Amino acid sequence: MASRFVTTLIRSAVLFLISVMLVLGFWFHSEFYQLGLTNLAIVGGFITFLVIGAARLAISGELPKGRPVGDLTFSLEEGDRILRGVAATVVRPAEGAPLPGVGQVVRAKYDTGPEFARLVVTDALRQHLSDLTEQDARDAGFRSTSALRGAAAGRWTWTPADVVTILRVRKLGAAR
Amino acid sequence: MTHATIAVAAGSLVAAWLIALVLIRGRRRWLQTMYAACGLAFLVMGIGFVGLEEGFLDPARQDIVLGTLLLAHALTAILVVGLIHGETLPRRRAAAFLLLGPVPVLAVFAPAEGWTLETAYDGNPVGGYLVLCLGIALAETVYARLTSRLYAAQSFWLSLGVVALFVGGPIYTYELQALGLPLSAGANVAAPVALGTFALVILQADPLPSSSRIPRGPWRGTGSLRAGEAIVFEEARPTYAIHTARTEAAAGRPTLVVARSAPPLTASGLGTATIPATRHAAVRLLTTASEFLAAHPGGLVVIPALADVVARSGRLRAFESVIRLKHAVKDTHSSVVLSTALLTDSERQNLKDLRLTWWSLPEPRRELDAILSQSFGSGAPRLLEAFCRAHGLRPDDLSTDHVPALIAFLQRTIAELTGAVEGSGAHGLRVQVEAASSVLRSFAALDASEVARGRWPSRGAPRTDEDLLVTAADYWKGKEMEELFASADAVSEREPLYERARAVFVEELGDAGEGVLRTQIARLGKRPEDLEKGDIVRIADRATVDLATLADVVDLPKEKDRLARQIDEIRVRLERLVREDA
Repeated sequence: MASRFVTTLIRSAVLFLISVMLVLGFWFHSEFYQLGLTNLAIVGGFITFLVIGAARLAISGELPKGRPVGDLTFSLEEGDRILRGVAATVVRPAEGAPLPGVGQVVRAKYDTGPEFARLVVTDALRQHLSDLTEQDARDAGFRSTSALRGAAAGRWTWTPADVVTILRVRKLGAAR
Repeated sequence: MTHATIAVAAGSLVAAWLIALVLIRGRRRWLQTMYAACGLAFLVMGIGFVGLEEGFLDPARQDIVLGTLLLAHALTAILVVGLIHGETLPRRRAAAFLLLGPVPVLAVFAPAEGWTLETAYDGNPVGGYLVLCLGIALAETVYARLTSRLYAAQSFWLSLGVVALFVGGPIYTYELQALGLPLSAGANVAAPVALGTFALVILQADPLPSSSRIPRGPWRGTGSLRAGEAIVFEEARPTYAIHTARTEAAAGRPTLVVARSAPPLTASGLGTATIPATRHAAVRLLTTASEFLAAHPGGLVVIPALADVVARSGRLRAFESVIRLKHAVKDTHSSVVLSTALLTDSERQNLKDLRLTWWSLPEPRRELDAILSQSFGSGAPRLLEAFCRAHGLRPDDLSTDHVPALIAFLQRTIAELTGAVEGSGAHGLRVQVEAASSVLRSFAALDASEVARGRWPSRGAPRTDEDLLVTAADYWKGKEMEELFASADAVSEREPLYERARAVFVEELGDAGEGVLRTQIARLGKRPEDLEKGDIVRIADRATVDLATLADVVDLPKEKDRLARQIDEIRVRLERLVREDA
């Protein structure tokens, strides 16, 4: 609750600053706009358009990281671990659906459908499933590698030689 | 002071800071020089403007400011083109430097023709030249943005910088002219913004730091890889890629390995660079390899972790960097090795579509198994398992580098059997072991090109467990063979713990590893032959702490990272020894 309030406060302050700068810009260029309504309408309108667009992105939390490039689905337990910060990585098969790269944002969804967070990928690397260590499993929020494989067995058919991608993720902004 | 002079003076300070930043942090000499020249031109231009406005520069010296204005714009265009094409610009696009040609001509004719700072952006040759320079820079960035996924982010920032120069230069001047306000001629208030974006691009695409300093200069020796080729090693693990890097470096060839992490043992002449956890990994891989090959024509770059670049930057960017690298390799008569390890099937197919030289290589474990099978039949996997147990290795980690240790293991096993098997049986076993050792040595001596061309043992030898034929050798030696396998198991169990721990330390830390182990044993107050399982656990704990302390002292992050991984690996392997011994 407190973090959401702080986030709202910061976003509002940024918006206020943008508004002040917009007014200052018009004041500074007042002489230019005195040259005619056309100048004011075209140049002023374009600048206002850019500012409104930036403000919309700022409010939606899509700045500075941009829009989500896709979805990552989690079981209820996995999603809960991500939300509580117990898990810092996500292990997914490398083959199949395209996975986000470093710096990209994804929607984190429960496999039942609802989105529960936005995640930014901070690192991504490949590994053979058989090479996953106990530490890798713990980072992904599991007690052991066998628990990790077992949890995923219902969703993917894995063999030890399979290649997996380990995505290190960070939750963006306040909880939704 | 006016608002304009304050703004330009502050901008000049920012420019000076940016120049210092790029000179200190950058790793591309040629681009750093270009950036410094461009930045200094803007700096001198700004100071000149402030001097003229504030009266501490003789108005007659306006020609200096006009000259630097021309120079700054020409250098901006060359710098922007250089930031997109990298260090190949002087060689492949030297025509870009022709942009500097008109600068002295225009500067000389300016006083006579009445081209002044106030009319710099007017419809005269000076104005046309300035706009042309910015136009070339903008066109290049827009072209890069449209045609390259790899340089998409960089071209956006470059476009932003060039557009800022347009707005702060000609457009702002026209606006002031329209309003009838005094012109801030000779200054571009957006210069720090442009220099900032250029600096960002330089640092985003900066080559990765390399662990060793190989003297610059061409290499003219003969290696096992053809010059001017990008070769793909199709292998499940980057065993042959790393092996090739080591052998080529040992032969004196300047070699750089760009990997997820540095190989544990580095030969002299072998540089290593670590792929960073950033979406610019593909660009940085390209600049690192290109810079290295430009500095060491005829050299070799080995990329065992292309899959990590794909995971971090995306498939399109990673493969575009491979294509560009292919051209860099041709230009410098060098070689690049790319391993397909950890790439998915579809990614391998995409890589194949790039029409690079393709070498299919075997899994060393399977080949060692096949060689042993030729002599020991279906019991070969048992021998390999026993060897892996004795050395705390996972079967997947086996490589041709382990062949000497494997031969020594087989010979120890035979020695153990001396008492149990006698006469022709013992002699037959010794002959079989010698024969297997000979084939193992021959196989280990093959380089990647020979392995790619030749017949693999696994393809050549029929496995006795795959068909039901019983060979004569299996028939008459059956009993001795079983004893050999039992002996191998026993050797792996009875081999002194010291020897097994020593193998782990030496394989991870080189010859110094034995010294580290002996120090730890001495601290326990024991002799090597008295080691017990509990001692191994304590040694693992203490070695972890000691080596971690050592790693903390190391200032180089890459070396620190390498040491940390070696420490982890030693610990894991020692724990595995204890677990398997239990």
